[in-house]
Amino acid sequence: MSLFPKAGGLHRTFNDLVRVFNRNKTSWAGLILLLVMVVLAVLAPWIAPYDPIDQNILQRLSPSSTEHLLGTDQFGRDILSRILWGARISLSVGTISVLLGMAVGTVLGIFAGYKGKFWDYLIMGVMDVFMAIPTLLMGLMVVAVLGPNLVNLTIAIALTVAPRFARIARAPTISIKNRDFVEAGRAMGFSDMRIMAAHIFPNILGELVVMGSLWVATAVRIEASLSFIGLGVKPPTPTWGGMIREGFQNILSEPWISIYPGIFILITVLAFNLLGDGLRDAIDPKLRNS
Amino acid sequence: MLKYVLKRLGMSIPILLAVLTLVFVIIRIVPGDPAMVVLGDQASAEALEALRAKMGLDAPLVEQYLTFLFGALRGDLGLSLLSGKPVLAEVMTVLPYTIDLTIAGVLIGVVFGVPLGVLTAVYRNSVTDYFIRVLSLFGLSFPAFYSAILLILVFAIQFQFFPVISDPDLSDYGQRLEHLILPAFNLGLIMVAYITRSTRSSMLEVLREDYVRTAKAKGVPRLIVIFRHALQNALIPIVTVIGLYLGVLIGNSVLTEIVFNRPGLGKLILDALSERDYTLLQGVMVIYAFIIVVVNLITDLTYGLVDPRVKHQ
Amino acid sequence: MRCKQLLSVFLAVFAYTCVLGAMPAHAESVLRVGTLSNDANQLDPHVSTKSQDKILFPWVFNGLVRFKPGSADLNEIEPDLADSWSASADGLSWTFKLRKGVQFHGGYGELTADDVVFSLNRARNKETSTAYKDYADVASVTASDKYTVTITLAKPVPSLLGIVTNYHGGFIVSKKAVEALGENFKTNPIGTGPFAFSEYQSKRQVTLVANKEYFRGVPKIDKIVYRYLPDESSRELAFKNGELDLIYGTREQRWVERIREDKQVKVDIIGLGELRTLHINAAKDHLKDIRVRKAIAHAVNRDEMVTFVGQDVAQRSLSVVPLGYLGTTTDVPVYEHDVDKAKELLKAAGYPDGITLKVIITKVASLRVPMEVLQAQLRKAGINLDLEVVEHSAFHKLIREDASDLILYGAARFPVADSYLTQFYLSDSIVGTPTAITNFSHCDVADTEIRAARAETDAAKQMALWKTAQRKILEQSFSVPIFEQLIVWARTANLDYGFAMKNSLSNGPIIDERTTLK
Repeated sequence: MSLFPKAGGLHRTFNDLVRVFNRNKTSWAGLILLLVMVVLAVLAPWIAPYDPIDQNILQRLSPSSTEHLLGTDQFGRDILSRILWGARISLSVGTISVLLGMAVGTVLGIFAGYKGKFWDYLIMGVMDVFMAIPTLLMGLMVVAVLGPNLVNLTIAIALTVAPRFARIARAPTISIKNRDFVEAGRAMGFSDMRIMAAHIFPNILGELVVMGSLWVATAVRIEASLSFIGLGVKPPTPTWGGMIREGFQNILSEPWISIYPGIFILITVLAFNLLGDGLRDAIDPKLRNS
Repeated sequence: MLKYVLKRLGMSIPILLAVLTLVFVIIRIVPGDPAMVVLGDQASAEALEALRAKMGLDAPLVEQYLTFLFGALRGDLGLSLLSGKPVLAEVMTVLPYTIDLTIAGVLIGVVFGVPLGVLTAVYRNSVTDYFIRVLSLFGLSFPAFYSAILLILVFAIQFQFFPVISDPDLSDYGQRLEHLILPAFNLGLIMVAYITRSTRSSMLEVLREDYVRTAKAKGVPRLIVIFRHALQNALIPIVTVIGLYLGVLIGNSVLTEIVFNRPGLGKLILDALSERDYTLLQGVMVIYAFIIVVVNLITDLTYGLVDPRVKHQ
Repeated sequence: MRCKQLLSVFLAVFAYTCVLGAMPAHAESVLRVGTLSNDANQLDPHVSTKSQDKILFPWVFNGLVRFKPGSADLNEIEPDLADSWSASADGLSWTFKLRKGVQFHGGYGELTADDVVFSLNRARNKETSTAYKDYADVASVTASDKYTVTITLAKPVPSLLGIVTNYHGGFIVSKKAVEALGENFKTNPIGTGPFAFSEYQSKRQVTLVANKEYFRGVPKIDKIVYRYLPDESSRELAFKNGELDLIYGTREQRWVERIREDKQVKVDIIGLGELRTLHINAAKDHLKDIRVRKAIAHAVNRDEMVTFVGQDVAQRSLSVVPLGYLGTTTDVPVYEHDVDKAKELLKAAGYPDGITLKVIITKVASLRVPMEVLQAQLRKAGINLDLEVVEHSAFHKLIREDASDLILYGAARFPVADSYLTQFYLSDSIVGTPTAITNFSHCDVADTEIRAARAETDAAKQMALWKTAQRKILEQSFSVPIFEQLIVWARTANLDYGFAMKNSLSNGPIIDERTTLK
């Protein structure tokens, strides 16, 4: 079950990681696609041919040409440049929101499982409430309340992600909290939370990584969906979902404005899914052995 | 078992209450004014004030909350601020569209997903397996609004097989089906992907079990045995998928309804949000939460029946 | 066992989805209209000022007089429910003779003077109407016999006929119907027009049927299905697919050109346009300085904006009162596009490194898209806009709470300078006050002229007062009038209005007894 069974130095961890990846080729495919996206996003300021917010009204809605590889949008902005800059938004909102949700959820889950009784009921109850509202609708409401910008979008997605990780963290906590070594640790004067974290975290790390990458895939999709509905980030910031929304106005005559950014969303989400899926297969003993 | 059911039921009620409260609070913080939506931008401040009073929005928040809460508990979600019709009636008008879409989407998921899942399990680690699995990952990586746009571009505009706007007359069954196909495939796409994967993993377990081998020894063709088993147990992957991905299913149906301009709960809630129709918005949210809580309950109970381990937890 | 159950479920679902109903044959002439917005607001002409509702009203209702169909010129007013009218010498008493035998829809009986009195009093009452301010100077409305109505004024108004036209408060509703239907009137309007209300399906459509007793003759179209389709591209797609005959188009040059390519499609670009004005909130600390306001005006590039929107669908605007309105003038101070000058003014005002303004805009494309163009234009002069896109209703709420430094607003009003000046530039109308309307800039420099012009009976003097008001407002740079956007409708060539469709106050074409659909 455990991805990183024992602590054993960075080198060992790295080897473990390579072994895990080798067990399933799709995770390599995901990782490579993802690295390509990350490189494009990081290098956007240098490789984007134009300023992504620079308007050129006279060259609006032009199809792809040597001047504008993927054409221009309704304001005459270069679509390729906007896609490259948009990668930064999608990737950072996707990963930061999930990391945030993961951190909060895991801590709450361990805390709930460890304390039990009242705290368990309270925390997991709150988590259940959050889970009873569909992710997209939750995002819509939170963005409507807090206002549409990057930070709020990230918070909105993190809120919907946190309960899933709380559940992941809670179950193993309950099963080991009364074991001897926990008692021993306590006797040695370590704080409860520290004991829990030290023992539980390595146990669930594998699952966290798998679920994390799968949830990033979902988060990227949700970010795009909210931007598509029109509640994404502030103009003129480029986002993929927002670009599709803009392009939808001219879908009959200039379908490429919507189609190109969509391909990038698809590849990014696919990359995270391949990665998460491959890792899951690799560390799930049931599937591995047969 | 009964104790478990009661316990789960007992847990659902506070969750619903909390959702009710959360939704109420969130909605009141959202900036906007339904009175202005009704009266338009030329309305004077006094006229707006008067209408707000008429809508009951000038009452203290606690009073509004209690009215909403006790109404909801009695199954009365109040009147839509804008149309003046009961929220429940508004919901009932569009519910058939959403039900059609959801059933058709899940059905497509089952019809394609179960056989594909069985195939991948039987030919595990073959080229077919990898191909279908990567394809299914593709399927669940598609943002629903993007796949909808592509479907429209190809099948409604290029080939003109189906209407662009999916807004059928419900009493005309031919039209109803014709308008359902594209949106249903759009929603079905992700369902096919999920059900394929879910069927595959449940099949892999089955394939190791004794009776499959026994049947094989008896000379019954292997594929027939497996398929029979798959169909008999198809309920499990379907329940699993619906239970796990209900949120995704709802989110995607909202996006599908937007792009296809199809009436439904999703469009209703977005309209209510943009018009600040507080009562309608909280009503639809409560109905969504209710559906989710009930489906989760059913899923859990089904697992309880199927998987004895759950019972004792 | 389980297998059987599953099979039966499959069969049931299969049967459910596959039952085929016979398509009913359509011999009648049905006009299918795709309109903006996702739902009717209120189908009460005295209340709603929303485009999607306004378009319908002249199809269902009449006024005492009407603008000639296809025109919005106050000099081209013709009889409608009133056959004839006369005014007393002092202009304070107006008598209207009604047409006899006009029937209300749905069996609500013949139109009489009682209905007209009831209707105009309803329009005057702020409890039942949003048009009540237009009737502020009306002292009484009385019926002297079954077919005669007299309107008495407390003081002369700029245009009395204007307030009894087929527009807003001027629409005549049935007294009996309003009393019988009560709250339901807003979803079941009863008028005397060429088409009668038949059914309303919320968030979906309104169905109208021909009024066989219409006093100008039986309409040639049997039925109108008026569908709410908020999404521009889906309206267009449905239109192209032959699912709609008449649609509210996208107000953009490219769209017009593209849709015109199809020979089976006719495009109507109709006025009166909506003036898009950038209001500058002078109550904000950094915008109190007139130099900053002038810098903004200089940074705006009208010509580029008109190019962006399109020559056919947009007109450059200089004055704060739209073109075609009684009392508008082009003799106003103009701040030409000049980025350097804008930068200089900013520097002089103490912002050598530029300034950042917080701006809230609706997600609705007709305002958001030009705002994004303005954002790019202003950025060149060092004026950065922190743009927040919100839902349309949140936008309306927030700009009335002074939450935005600049407000891009588009509006069409009754085509008299007074209506625009009063609502946008009179100090009574400043947002946040109890009498607030839409004075977003907190402008208070032209009150004297606006008020004086309203009471002025001499036409020339009135014009002069209105002109001074417009000059004063622009001298202080309270707002930047940018362009006027016309309204675009596309129809199949089979649809013939029966008259030239140039202007309309309803934001949409007039459909009447002459309109045909082959």
